[in-house]
Amino acid sequence: MAGKIIADTIETGAGADISTSYVVNGSAKAWVHFDGTGTVATRDSFNMSSVTDRATGAYTTSATNAMASADYAWTSNASNQGAAYGAYCVEGDATGTKNFNGRTSSNVRLNTGGYTAWDDALSISSVYHGDLA
Amino acid sequence: MNTPEFKGTHLWDRLCWAKENLEPHQSDYRVVYEDSIDECAKILVPDPNWMACALQGGILPPVWVYHELAKDEAEEGFKKHTRGYLLHETEPMEAMTEEEAIEYLIMKDCPESVWKTYNEGNRPKMVVCTKQQLPQTREWRNSWKIEVAA
Repeated sequence: MAGKIIADTIETGAGADISTSYVVNGSAKAWVHFDGTGTVATRDSFNMSSVTDRATGAYTTSATNAMASADYAWTSNASNQGAAYGAYCVEGDATGTKNFNGRTSSNVRLNTGGYTAWDDALSISSVYHGDLA
Repeated sequence: MNTPEFKGTHLWDRLCWAKENLEPHQSDYRVVYEDSIDECAKILVPDPNWMACALQGGILPPVWVYHELAKDEAEEGFKKHTRGYLLHETEPMEAMTEEEAIEYLIMKDCPESVWKTYNEGNRPKMVVCTKQQLPQTREWRNSWKIEVAA
């Protein structure tokens, strides 16, 4: 990289300051927004390598820079615009029973659906928080 | 645009540079594979920002790094990666063709049990195809039902 800033705190114009560790630890480490209908298409992302369409309303997201442990936090949500129901999420495979190449990089499993069954969603977002490997 | 000299640069920082400087590349390739006889086929879709990194070169670590981390994670009592430096300090991959990138991605994100033996047995477990070759709806999935006699 062209330059490096080393600082322990960040201060706003109003004089409020926080430790840079809040920023480092609190920032999302990976995110993805994709269309889960038809042929899945990623709209935008960061630190993701792929989305796998596992079945109707079921997906797996994979990260490029693995997380440090399997205990990171992830949140997901989904919506089906104009549909008669709101789609929702999710399922995580903390046990690793469907482990691809390790839960730290490749195994956040999402499910989306309506009130009674899993269904594809038009707009699905997933965000990882935690420490990077 | 040339990739900066990323020697020992944290992978996260390399991805930040790529996000700011590279145009995402939507690949037409899809990987269809079966990893369980009880489940329908899976379709792996490459991430467009990741594909841009692969085509650019000098950003992504070699795929064997992920396999090493996966080995660590498979150890009993695994708590946290202690060899994450492999991601950051290993010499990044040179620019790949799109086909080479798909092969890399298969070895990264598909189960090893699929890609290591994809062409063994009585039918292939995995194929690489284009997006246009996939059905556009889900009607082909779970599409049969057992008719129950009245």
